[in-house]
Amino acid sequence: MKALLKCAGLLLTLGAVACVDPEDQPSKVHDFRVLGISTEKPELYASTCEQTPEALDQLADEITYRALLVDPAGEGRPIRYELWACADTADTTCSDETSRAKLAEGTTTAGELVLPIRPGAVRVGDDRLLLERVIEDDAYKGLGGIRMPLVLHVTAGDEEVYAQKLMVFWCPLVEGMKENVQPVLPGLRVDDVPWEDGALPELSGPGPFLMTSEDVSALEETYVVPGLRLNAVTLKEAWEISWHTTLGDFSPQVTGGADFGGQQGRHRTEWEPAEGATAQDVTFWAVVRDGRGGSSWLMRRAHWSP
Amino acid sequence: MSPNLKARSALAAATLLLTTPALAQEPQAGAPPAEAAQAHQPTITKPPELVQQVEAQYPPDALTQGLTASVRLIITIAEDGAVSDVQPTEAVGNGFDEAAIAAVRQFRFSPAEVDGVPAPVQVEYVYHFTLNAPPPPEGETPTEQEAPKATLTGQLISRGSRSRVAGATVRCGDDPEAPEATSDAEGRFTLEVPPGECAVRVVASGYQLYQTKELLKENETTEVNFYLAPSGGALETVVRSERPKKEVVRRTITREEAQKTPGTFGDPIRVIQALPGVARAPFISGELLVRGSNPGQTATMMDGVSIPILFHLLGGPSVVNAEFIDQLDFYPGGYGSQYGRAVGGVVEVGTRKGAADTLHGSVKVDVLDAGFFLEAPITDGISVAAAARRSYIDTLLPAFLPKDDGKTLSVVPKYWDYQLRVDFGAKRGAPSEADAGGARSSGYVMAFGSDDQLRVVSSGPKTERDLSLDTRTLFHRVKGDWTYRKGALTSVFTPYVGYDGVSFEFGTAKQDGVGYTVGAREVVGMELSSALTVRTGLDLVYEHQSYDVQFPAPEDFEYVAFPGAESVGELLVEKLALGAFDGALFLEADMKVGKFTFTPGVRGNLQLVGDTQNVALDPRLWVRFAATERTSLKGSLGLYSQPPESFRFISLPYGNPDLVYQRAFQSSLGVEHRFTDVLNVDVTGFFNRRFKNIALPGQLVEREGGGVVQLPYSNDGIGRAWGIELMAKKDRASATDKWSGWISYTFSRALDGRAGPKPDGGGGFGGGDFGGDSDATYGLSPWDQTHILTLVGSYILGSGWELGGRFRYTTGRPTTPLDHGYDVYRSDPNRYTPTFGPYASARASGFHQLDVRVDKNFQFQSWTLTAYLDVQNLYNAENAEFVFNDYRGRREYEIPGIPILPVVGLKGSF
Repeated sequence: MKALLKCAGLLLTLGAVACVDPEDQPSKVHDFRVLGISTEKPELYASTCEQTPEALDQLADEITYRALLVDPAGEGRPIRYELWACADTADTTCSDETSRAKLAEGTTTAGELVLPIRPGAVRVGDDRLLLERVIEDDAYKGLGGIRMPLVLHVTAGDEEVYAQKLMVFWCPLVEGMKENVQPVLPGLRVDDVPWEDGALPELSGPGPFLMTSEDVSALEETYVVPGLRLNAVTLKEAWEISWHTTLGDFSPQVTGGADFGGQQGRHRTEWEPAEGATAQDVTFWAVVRDGRGGSSWLMRRAHWSP
Repeated sequence: MSPNLKARSALAAATLLLTTPALAQEPQAGAPPAEAAQAHQPTITKPPELVQQVEAQYPPDALTQGLTASVRLIITIAEDGAVSDVQPTEAVGNGFDEAAIAAVRQFRFSPAEVDGVPAPVQVEYVYHFTLNAPPPPEGETPTEQEAPKATLTGQLISRGSRSRVAGATVRCGDDPEAPEATSDAEGRFTLEVPPGECAVRVVASGYQLYQTKELLKENETTEVNFYLAPSGGALETVVRSERPKKEVVRRTITREEAQKTPGTFGDPIRVIQALPGVARAPFISGELLVRGSNPGQTATMMDGVSIPILFHLLGGPSVVNAEFIDQLDFYPGGYGSQYGRAVGGVVEVGTRKGAADTLHGSVKVDVLDAGFFLEAPITDGISVAAAARRSYIDTLLPAFLPKDDGKTLSVVPKYWDYQLRVDFGAKRGAPSEADAGGARSSGYVMAFGSDDQLRVVSSGPKTERDLSLDTRTLFHRVKGDWTYRKGALTSVFTPYVGYDGVSFEFGTAKQDGVGYTVGAREVVGMELSSALTVRTGLDLVYEHQSYDVQFPAPEDFEYVAFPGAESVGELLVEKLALGAFDGALFLEADMKVGKFTFTPGVRGNLQLVGDTQNVALDPRLWVRFAATERTSLKGSLGLYSQPPESFRFISLPYGNPDLVYQRAFQSSLGVEHRFTDVLNVDVTGFFNRRFKNIALPGQLVEREGGGVVQLPYSNDGIGRAWGIELMAKKDRASATDKWSGWISYTFSRALDGRAGPKPDGGGGFGGGDFGGDSDATYGLSPWDQTHILTLVGSYILGSGWELGGRFRYTTGRPTTPLDHGYDVYRSDPNRYTPTFGPYASARASGFHQLDVRVDKNFQFQSWTLTAYLDVQNLYNAENAEFVFNDYRGRREYEIPGIPILPVVGLKGSF
């Protein structure tokens, strides 16, 4: 009954929200944003949960931090950045000076910001590993892994964004656990035609144009996490793709994922150019997330004419 | 010509207006539900008789002009037979009104009795001013001889409804000396008159004067049926309920108000939202938000049995069919000890006893559903009433759903409900049965239930995902009611059983739940003296619930969720079952001390669920001071308890077996004044404090044996509300009175939240989803509305037309404003976190809306057709129901409410 009521409430709310069409949409990229953040590896995995030197070394490995910065109206302006690591996942700006450490800073431009970092080796305060502070702040006692917030503070002109990514550190708490593999889209299709990187397909007319991802079902991992009762819980990834463009918008703007009944979405969306737009090259991004910290993206371009 | 006036048909012809009496031992005052239900149809066991009549002075001017008139009066007769009030239903002028009132004020009646007890009643009385023919010239003497006779016999039937008209006078012509007959309970009469043409005149309360001509032959009997037209276009005689109020506030809604209040779609529960103390719920939701309480904290009962589900699918009509109700009593707070299981208000739906005269019924059709109502006597003393309703949206909806190759969308919503009541005991209007010991028994059996089904399937290669949702919610309740009265003792026993079925299927998630309920209520009342009445009783219920569930392992219950795309968990299969007992013992007394009535009471509550045992003691007191006959001061204070629903006690992590009773302290102080019998004003202030309420989620705690768990519920919920309520209500004085309506205004402030820190994992409804990164856990309730004004009016236009309107204004609900300085983006869930200003420091725009309803009755000889148009939001106001933020938390958007919405319907009744 509760679920029914929730569904009813949801339907009413969605119906009401459908009556309002905010101008600003996630898929309409018209100003400065961070569209996605990825770390390679997506998680750092120690081979044992004992605090051995070997395990600490594994958790202190260097990773590659990537942030997808877009600034279509910026005309190549400089973007100032600072990258922080801190202890509290609720501290979305890493504002607590006692438990944060700066990992990098500098100036860049729109595109991919790539930084090599070693968050597992960061120390704060009285020379303690930040990892230890993260565990202390974790109400779940590490049953969801050690989740260290990495906060990128970027400034472009008068636009300012704090972008948080959780860096996950794991060890084999229950049997069957294994290291996460970065989700990577095998390719995209436009109107059911393969859309290769570097290609510039011609699209004309008002659309909508069908955009899909190549089948990812074989890439979605089955994995094991510790349960809250200290048991092993088996899960299967249900990737989500968020779609973005410099012209028009997507519907739906996010594809895939699963609902609480386990029903998974198709990676199928429709792109519709903006009304009254003139012919131009359009940039598209598809950012994939595996729901456990892994993320990557593809960028494609096309030439559209009315 | 000599004046001769005649107060004819004083009470023989006057029909009692069914004024409900005040009875010292009468159960409905502050009544337990079963008693209250009984009280809705009191039986007049002894009508008042006119023992002292005073002739009115014929107005001199009218006499000079040779004018005659009939003055129709409503006389209120006190318990001792004295006339306490006289009001004309319609002024006739020329001094007749004043003369009639002056005379009638001096009348004296024998005390009327209702259910065997002296009681105040109202009668309608017609005072005829007529002029006699001049006396015969002197010297002429009437010849003494046996006059030939003819007989006119027949039945009086209400036009349009076929009700039998009792208590009417039938006569030939307007000669005051002519013989007359009075119709019996079946509407039958027999009149013996001289043969020849009879200018038939039928006078009946609530009906227009009926005149026709019949040619009567000597020594023959002429049998006729006369169809009388109800006056004022109403189908039924105006019923005024004047039960004594011991509760500080009890608002009563009649069936007609429940059916005809504009903007409510004829839904009885939604009418309650137009009463003081009730905040406006969003859209057309019928949620009852009473004096700062949250949804689910107001108990709704049908004849004392809790209604498990109040509304059909998706905020549809309530499961209470307006045709089946007798009236609704709404207690916003300060109710008696016999009521429990609520920390907000109480709504008591009194059902309708079947007709005692003949078969009646109605069929109603509107855009959502169709239903019928039937009532009839089965044998002498047994009557039945039944109603059922079924939606047909499922058959209409496919025509409106989009059709596209590669996409299949099927939405099948269905609902139905039924009510059935069989009454045993005294026939309406007849003396109650009495056994040799002077005891009287009556009772009834009632069943009600509803079924809601919703199936949604979306599939096909062009859809974003295949979706399948299948839900069903079903319940049945059967209750008995046995009322026993002997002397000063009254006992009401109400046993009931119930069945609940809930099934839910969404993808691979399934839940099948079955619940069985058995309960009983026993209330014993004893009038120990005229100054002391004691009531005590038990209120017990046992539920057994079992669930077969299968669902993918849910995050945060089985494992720690990672923000973002939810993975598909392994399938869990569980069988859950638990039994829950909740019982209460209550005791209260009415003590009259001068003009004061004190009613102290106490209710002891015990809840047993699994190994959990909860106890709560609720002392209560209310006081009434009758300052004058028309003015009373009243006050109350007390504690109230509501057990958490049984399903919340299932084992961790899906339930919390350590929950305790939700509690509230309620107090109020007010004054009420009756300007006239039909115009009342009530002003009441209140202060409520809620504590140990259910809040969700609870805190994150370590489990015994290792691991952690987030308690799904806790007793951390707290709240506070205070305010003042005004209710001014004008009822119809008689069937010919055209105006009725009320003004309802509430000034209030409601706070809500949780005691203690915000739990890890966020807030939730009732626990305060306090938005953003704020640590606040207590503040203005999301339902707080400073000003709540409702104006309701209805006017009978005549010729079967009736016009009604409802205007509402409420202050906008609290919102937490954005304080955007920069974007905060969380990459893992691909979401922005808005930055908020102070919690609940802003409000949405105020709400205002006008709803209008037009009814038109087409009255035929044996039935009546009613067509209605109910228009919500007539001037299409763009009201803000919610305030949402854009996805980056930079701008706020107001979500508009229901635009102009016309609904038409038809109802045929006989």
